[in-house]
Amino acid sequence: MRGSYLRMKLHCLDRKFFHASPTLTPIQLPSPMETHLWYVIPSEVKSKALLNQFLDILSPCEKEDVFQMRGEEPRKRALLARALVRTTIARYQMNSQISPRSLKFRKNIHGKPELEWQFSDHWLSPPLHFNISHTSSLVACGVTVNSQIGIDVEEKHRTIKHNILSFARRYFSKDEVQFLADILDPEIQRQEFVKLWTLKEAYVKALGKGFSGAPFKTFTIRYNGGGGFNPLENLNREAQEIVVDSFDEPIELTSNWQFELLELAGSHYAAICTENNFASEGKRTVPVKLTVWKTIPFLEDECVSGTDAVKTISGSK
Amino acid sequence: MASATASSVSFTSLSSSLRQNQVSHLKKVSVSFGGKSFKPVPLRFRVACAAKPETVEKVCEIVRKQLALPADSAITGESKFASLGADSLDTVEIVMGLEEEFEISVEEESAQSITTVQEAADMIEKLNEKK
Repeated sequence: MRGSYLRMKLHCLDRKFFHASPTLTPIQLPSPMETHLWYVIPSEVKSKALLNQFLDILSPCEKEDVFQMRGEEPRKRALLARALVRTTIARYQMNSQISPRSLKFRKNIHGKPELEWQFSDHWLSPPLHFNISHTSSLVACGVTVNSQIGIDVEEKHRTIKHNILSFARRYFSKDEVQFLADILDPEIQRQEFVKLWTLKEAYVKALGKGFSGAPFKTFTIRYNGGGGFNPLENLNREAQEIVVDSFDEPIELTSNWQFELLELAGSHYAAICTENNFASEGKRTVPVKLTVWKTIPFLEDECVSGTDAVKTISGSK
Repeated sequence: MASATASSVSFTSLSSSLRQNQVSHLKKVSVSFGGKSFKPVPLRFRVACAAKPETVEKVCEIVRKQLALPADSAITGESKFASLGADSLDTVEIVMGLEEEFEISVEEESAQSITTVQEAADMIEKLNEKK
């Protein structure tokens, strides 16, 4: 025991916990129309002792994967990614006293990681879904109940080696290429490219069928109500919803998916795609409550919703 | 048979040791935290279609450039893109780079199954044969 006090700042839940030993603050499960997002900033995790605590909760396979990474920083990120998933999910099970280490994962037939439910352990919680994404400077985990979820994060300043329109022509749909081609300012074009990439990735990850399950060219993600890109329209972007059109799937199926696009921690774009099982007649989306925590598992949590760390760019309202 | 307490990896000394008796596949890897020394792993040669060394070398070059790795970083056929630090966007760019360099067209189904340099090189040769 290092004698560190654990101070939880849970602004949203309006509670404070003080613990003498490292532990995880239990969190209530998200409701069906809620999404929870947890993220870690790797550069803020410096303690070797803490990193070893994280290593300790991983499965042997996960440890192997971590050490297959080349270089200290990539290794640390891989470690934080697994530790974030395990500790995050464990928070929702605190009543049943599930420890992060005891969680078991498996992959669906397409390779998407999911939680393995063991009813023999008397897990009464409803199916909890998660998805992770990370960049070199941020690791994020999204959680939902009863809804598939896919998330993707990218650094705001991410550049690609290829010309953006060449890349888009090769991988994106015609409408998306047109959308990007209409943007004259190269910096804004680059930003919109990165946002579009995160949205497309989030969608494919939510579907859980792998890259080839929904080839990028076969669907278009766009802002509803907009034809081309208009800088003035940007001001109203927050009011616009993001929708997906697929060449392969009829609209009844694609309207099941909805998106949130955020600027996260001032440094990243984050796209969250979730299943929408409650859309009523005529409405494509229903309001989704998103709650975001910045965390260093076992050490501190901070609910950052409503702060500058979370800025909605667009999404369902 | 390894027990849970036999884990000897830790971050304190910034070095790692591998629990070889826990390796579930044939490969043995030795890494150091400094990242500079990397013992090459035994290559598993596929009898049917092992790609030419020049192809593998070209793929290594493209990967090295895409991931901005130093010229002396050891990349071999067995190197996994993900382990070298490639995320999904990098991997897609690598595939696009391969298409341009080798004048081939890679379908997304195939692209998804490429995770190592060797797999990329093998796929390139297979596509070249069809030309």
